[in-house]
Amino acid sequence: MTDDAGGVRVNGRAFPLEGMPDDERLLDTLRWRLALKGTKEGCRTGDCGACTVLVDGRSTLSCLTLTREVEGQEVTTIDDAATDPDLGRVRAAFTAAGALQCGYCTPGFVLALAGLLKERGRAAPVEELLDGLQGNLCRCTGYAAIVRAVELAREASP
Amino acid sequence: MRSDLAIKLAGHAVYGTDLDRPGMLWAALVPSPVAHGRLRSVDLAPARRLPGVVAIGPDDLAALLPGGGGDADRPIFPSGEVAYRNQPLAAVAAPTLAEARRAAALVRVDVEPLPALVDIETAFPSWPGAEAARSPHVIAHVHARHGDLGEAFRTADRVVEETYRTSSVHQVALEPHACVASFSNDRWHVETSTQSPFGVREDVASLFGVPEETIVVDGTWVGGGFGGKGASLLEPFALLLARAAGRPVRLALDYRQEFELGRTTLPAVIRLATAVKGGRIAGRRVRLLLDVGSSLPGRDFATGYSIGFLLGPYRTPAFEVEGYGVRTNKPPFGPHRAPFAPQCAFALESHLDEVARSVGLDPAAFRAEHLWREGDTTPFAQPVGPFGAEVALERARARAAEWRAAAPPDHGVGIGVGFWSTSTGAGGEARLELTPTELTIVQGEREIGSGSVLRGLVAVAERELGLPADRIRVDYRSTADAPFDSGVFGSRTVGALGRAIVEAAERLERTLAERLGDSGPVRLAVADGELVAVGPTLRRPVRELLTPEEGPKGLVASGRHFAKPNSIDEQRVVTGSFYPYTDFTASVHVAEVAVDRETGAVRVEKYAAFQDIGVVVDRATARAQVEGGVAMGLGIALTEEAVWSDDGRLVNAHLLDYRIPTLGEVPVPEVTFVEGFPGAGPFGAKGLGEPPIIPVPATIAAAVRDAAGAHVTELPLSAERVARALKLL
Repeated sequence: MTDDAGGVRVNGRAFPLEGMPDDERLLDTLRWRLALKGTKEGCRTGDCGACTVLVDGRSTLSCLTLTREVEGQEVTTIDDAATDPDLGRVRAAFTAAGALQCGYCTPGFVLALAGLLKERGRAAPVEELLDGLQGNLCRCTGYAAIVRAVELAREASP
Repeated sequence: MRSDLAIKLAGHAVYGTDLDRPGMLWAALVPSPVAHGRLRSVDLAPARRLPGVVAIGPDDLAALLPGGGGDADRPIFPSGEVAYRNQPLAAVAAPTLAEARRAAALVRVDVEPLPALVDIETAFPSWPGAEAARSPHVIAHVHARHGDLGEAFRTADRVVEETYRTSSVHQVALEPHACVASFSNDRWHVETSTQSPFGVREDVASLFGVPEETIVVDGTWVGGGFGGKGASLLEPFALLLARAAGRPVRLALDYRQEFELGRTTLPAVIRLATAVKGGRIAGRRVRLLLDVGSSLPGRDFATGYSIGFLLGPYRTPAFEVEGYGVRTNKPPFGPHRAPFAPQCAFALESHLDEVARSVGLDPAAFRAEHLWREGDTTPFAQPVGPFGAEVALERARARAAEWRAAAPPDHGVGIGVGFWSTSTGAGGEARLELTPTELTIVQGEREIGSGSVLRGLVAVAERELGLPADRIRVDYRSTADAPFDSGVFGSRTVGALGRAIVEAAERLERTLAERLGDSGPVRLAVADGELVAVGPTLRRPVRELLTPEEGPKGLVASGRHFAKPNSIDEQRVVTGSFYPYTDFTASVHVAEVAVDRETGAVRVEKYAAFQDIGVVVDRATARAQVEGGVAMGLGIALTEEAVWSDDGRLVNAHLLDYRIPTLGEVPVPEVTFVEGFPGAGPFGAKGLGEPPIIPVPATIAAAVRDAAGAHVTELPLSAERVARALKLL
């Protein structure tokens, strides 16, 4: 995809990964190598969804992904300053619905929903979108406001 | 709108887990391999041989802390008895996390295993009996009584006696505990994800034997608290390592450790016996066996506070309550949103259903007959204040009747009542600073997610002073610079710290009125981009009312609130401590559930919450608290149960096996606020963080019983337990 073979692209910027161990997780690369702390570390076992990012537009658990697996692919995280239109729509929907409290699960939910909207957009029934978020845990909201945000984001999608 | 949405949606909020400092070392704890034992030795030498590793154990405390270093009740590192599995025996720090873990694994600990007490019932096979009070395992004993209970039981039409069991539940804040500590110039400094910076400061000071002024606690953004981040946990270890290393040290738990070391609600056995005469409650005897883990501090709190909830907000002419806090080889008991109240409500409400049915009465009507009204007294002779329980119950009954009329045959509808009182903690203070363009609230609580700080306190100032929210800023400061406050717990931020804001605002208003030369109340408004003081007849820009000496902070006013003095009748107390109520808050819930007649699986179809709130300070934030509380309560009701093996291992220390509710399992609840029964907070507000979780397990149990006839007396109502109650297994 780019001329920086061996590197990773995050939010449109290329990062070389010199000296990175082969078993480094994408979550750790983002947070500790690239200092992009917006992606949150919850369980590190793929059960909570807090670390969800997009890899070439697909929702991906960064705690269970080796960085080497995504070399040359485009990674999108919550740190992306509103260049991704789906991310922008989801942020607006979460704001309007007040769909967060402590905010720790929020980056994961936002990226997961942005990924679902990229796949299906407005054509997806709400139930299907909600089903696609079952792997993201939230302890604060009881999901009620998140359900409202999903409806708003879907309506705003093309 | 809350001011934290944008920063959190941009990924810019720095939580405890995100902390990073130049030159920082990473730390790891050395866990006890057994649940109970005698520590023979801790050999740090193999770890210390690794390059860049700093290791500390029991023998290093005297040098690091000349003034103290824990006590028998709260050892930093145990030097004699090891009390629970994974109890930290030593700590190490290294340049990377991987190196720290390697070093921790190299520490040689020698512990002589002793028999572990894990399940409280194994220690009391014939409980309740008089021997309980003499048991070496009992570390807290509370006992209170009033009225002629013997007479009530002798002359009763019916006595219903039942036993309930509740499970160990974890807060599951998605952010595990994390902090970064440093030490220089004889000052301890820690940044940490906490509900109470001042609480952590007090804990560390008493543990270290150092003055509070030598410790600075700086709160980060908090990824959920729910009671789990109210006291110190990792901070002492990180601070001691930082002192030993001469560098900043980061200590964070991984999620397995979060389960294993978190302080949370442990199991209990509750025995309730109620005497009924002429369709009325004549008396109740309560026996509580509460697992308090290896806890010693706060042991009376757990038992003495809980036991009031087992009498409930109901008129009970005669009673005797006795509670035993049982020390087990588990981590210390800690608070979990409305500590132990949902479990007590489950037992009491299910029991009242049984009592009502036993004398042929409708359970909801039976409750309505007995609910406290303003002017009644509590079991400890405290006058009951304004209480919205009756109105909430009436509305809940109407909703339940509608749902029941339309429900399919495999569905059931249940009602549950919860009771709570806003905590004041140890009091607190807030400062207001008024400049020509904005008002700043200076205080020492960090927003933990509920919105109580960034929205609740702002809404209080907004309502009191009249200026719009976009002109009000909340300035959080560390313990070095903030006025003292107890912290975010006990539903106290709006209800208690909010009163300090009102007091400060009133002072501000008085000063402005004097300077304006107007007689009546002064409010603030915005005109031409600046703040204006508006009296009944006069108005002037704030700019013109400030004096040059007031400087850039502008006009400053402080307000305080205090802890409520104890007002219970001590004549009724035989042993231990019991707790007075600040105000009286009711939560009445209705659920419709479907029960699978082959598997016992319960699905929640509809949910409605009727919440006594005094006055709604901010509707969206209040509704969000109820929605979140209901979901968390559904976890206690249906799926959440930490399972401990006989040798004290937490079997399901993992989110896959410890199941919290997921998005598809929680219906969006209908939320109705009952106003008009004022509490102790500003404008009559009542604390709201905890009440909505309280009646949930009771409500679900009532609905399951209504649906399938299954009377389940043990939490959670897993498919297996429901199936057993239905004799399917």
